[in-house]
Amino acid sequence: MIDRPAERPDPVLPNTGIVARREFTERVRSRPYAASTVLLSLLAIFVSFLPIIIRLVDRDTTTSIAIVADDAELAQRSESIMRGVLSTTAGGSPDSWVFTVESDRDAVTADVGEGRYDGALFATRDPSGRLDFTFLTGQGLGADRTQFVAIGTFAVAFLEWTDLVNPSGDVPFLPPTLNVLAGAGPNAGGVPLAATEIASRQLLGTVLIVILFLTMTIYGMWVAAGVAAEKETRVMELLISAASPRQLVLGKVVGIGLAGLVQYIAILVPAVLALAVQRPIGEALGLGSSINPPLSGITPGFLLAYGSFFVLGFTLYALIYAAAGSLVSRVEDLQVIALPMSLLGIAGYIQAVLALSGGLSGFIRVASFIPFWSPFVMFTRLTVGRVEPWELVLAYGLLLLSIGLVAALAIRVYSAGVLLYGQRPGPRRILRAVINPNA
Amino acid sequence: MATPDGLGRLTGPLGAGTGQRFPAILRQMSLVFDGLHKRFDRIQALDGLSLEIPQGHIYGFLGANGAGKTTTMRIALGVLRADSGTLTWGGVDHRRLRRATWGYLPEERGLYPKMTVLDQLVFFGRLHGLPKDEAARTAMAWLTRLRVPDFATRRAGELSKGNQQKVQFLAAVIHDPEILLLDEPFTGLDPVNVVLLRQAILELRARGKTIILSTHQMETVEAMCESIAIIDKGRTVIDGALRDVKRSTGRQSVILATEIGQSLTWTGELPGVRVIRPGIDRVELDLDPGTEPDAVLAAAMARNVPIRHFEVADPTLEQVFIELVGHPADTDSSLAPVPEATRDEPRTEDASVPESPAA
Repeated sequence: MIDRPAERPDPVLPNTGIVARREFTERVRSRPYAASTVLLSLLAIFVSFLPIIIRLVDRDTTTSIAIVADDAELAQRSESIMRGVLSTTAGGSPDSWVFTVESDRDAVTADVGEGRYDGALFATRDPSGRLDFTFLTGQGLGADRTQFVAIGTFAVAFLEWTDLVNPSGDVPFLPPTLNVLAGAGPNAGGVPLAATEIASRQLLGTVLIVILFLTMTIYGMWVAAGVAAEKETRVMELLISAASPRQLVLGKVVGIGLAGLVQYIAILVPAVLALAVQRPIGEALGLGSSINPPLSGITPGFLLAYGSFFVLGFTLYALIYAAAGSLVSRVEDLQVIALPMSLLGIAGYIQAVLALSGGLSGFIRVASFIPFWSPFVMFTRLTVGRVEPWELVLAYGLLLLSIGLVAALAIRVYSAGVLLYGQRPGPRRILRAVINPNA
Repeated sequence: MATPDGLGRLTGPLGAGTGQRFPAILRQMSLVFDGLHKRFDRIQALDGLSLEIPQGHIYGFLGANGAGKTTTMRIALGVLRADSGTLTWGGVDHRRLRRATWGYLPEERGLYPKMTVLDQLVFFGRLHGLPKDEAARTAMAWLTRLRVPDFATRRAGELSKGNQQKVQFLAAVIHDPEILLLDEPFTGLDPVNVVLLRQAILELRARGKTIILSTHQMETVEAMCESIAIIDKGRTVIDGALRDVKRSTGRQSVILATEIGQSLTWTGELPGVRVIRPGIDRVELDLDPGTEPDAVLAAAMARNVPIRHFEVADPTLEQVFIELVGHPADTDSSLAPVPEATRDEPRTEDASVPESPAA
């Protein structure tokens, strides 16, 4: 029998770097790269401007809000002032807002969760006379509407102060507090967030998740297509004698990943600029100040989370795509074998979208830990909801662990796959390749 | 079977290598394949293949399609792992060797079509450990040597297949490997480029490189190789010095030429004689072992045939190949059947093998 000598000295560097450099250079110099950069930038800008577009189209939407107060007088007063103020300042028709006085806070909360009301405003008066408001937002309630409600509560407090609290003018005005709670979605019952921050995070989340999904899918396919093309052109025969499967797989993932990152930045910069100029554009279009400053949700931690989820998510998917690419002999055959991976990504994307708009909170919480979905779903939870530190650590840990495992398996499949020509790789062959790449 | 020539002892037809065919000192300087076995599912690609290739030789590696040549080379490169057996170079296990020890020109040609020739030669040179500047310098020197310096800035996809093949050859040699595995290096080349490539290979041999030449072109092997191996069904049929291999069957060839108008058809009726190349005024004959060339000469003189040319020669390599293997080298080899006792896996459509695993 063959003895077990030390394996061939094939350190990761420098060959991984050399392969990565070739992949990066070839990619960024290609016309499809330039074309996709332009297209994705335009798409990102379009998505960034969606709130303005929706606002323009949606001027006549009716928003139903339930009002519950400590006493009936406060409830009636709030309803009257809110209706009066918002119908004139919110830029819509007189029917844009419907306020209903209710008495049962629990029943109203349930109604918001089930969509019978778009939101509920709970008013209380503290011993000093100051009004405290809690606004429970339902699914689909736009950030701009939340901001209008904030304006309305200020009007209620001010008029109450002038009419009731301080008829003599001796008591200083105390601005009302307004806590916003998500009545539906992953953050249901979570800590209050400022209305503007919720609005901007939802908008940002939408833009970023769309970009995240598109780029991870596209870059993953680049990796698979790159491997398949090397087989199709038969340059693979030369490559496998010059570098190890590990060097080739990692080099391809790193090189294409870097090309993707460069494109990413090229896409994000105009998108962020588009977000930054939304308010002046909204005002110019006669939408008043209803467009929130979306960038207020961006913090260094937020950017770090986004960057890390992109890098880790791309790495995980790209490794699988590399293995898939090694199993086909022609680029045209790639679609069939890449479909399951695309569906996996789409499943994560759909959950992320659901998380942005609310619903299925329990399942989404679980999905946010599953490595193939966590780059989408956990990032969304971070964007619009509350995430405990341990949850984040667990999601990152599972993701990193999965990358290690998937890398080992992908390299084994690649080792066997690059030698396969003219065969349809069935599940048994893939399994055998994982168990013994040289069999 | 045959006599040694000081470099090695011939193995018998269909006999596996016996190992230890070289003195220890020579063995330390050789590429030694010893008892390699490799099986893909139910196909035994290599079945105890043993070879000893002297350092600095051009070694002909002959076998029909499916005989196990590519599998052997892939094991040498570390792309595949043998089920059992050893492969050493200078006494060192091949998996301890640096990847740059080897240069490989695969039978399947391929380059990055959109990359310039110089860029890809530098790329492959760097993968084998050359600094970028040195790789570029060496690439340009080789392109000039093959009379195509203007290819440097052209994309590989713009070149003819023959010229792409030259570039791929350069990708195999740019890092100055100690051992070169060349799989059908001349296929598809025009005569001018065949000569250029032959000269380049002979030059590398003169610089001490060990070159394994896998080809179906017997005349190329006869012209270039000092020693050869013929393999079939994953086993070594015969190996040794070219001259000894050619004489190993005990056959001889006779070329007899006369004047136009003189019939030579009678030569085919002589006992132990077979006409292999008939002609209008000449004939090439294959003599069975034990049949003396003198018998042909005597028969001609007895018939008063005017003799213009009479030559006794070794049989061609092609004749030897057919004699030992049973069919020409450019036909498929039937792969070795797996013994009944080992047929434990059901055949499924998935239980196939890599393309030409033993090609």
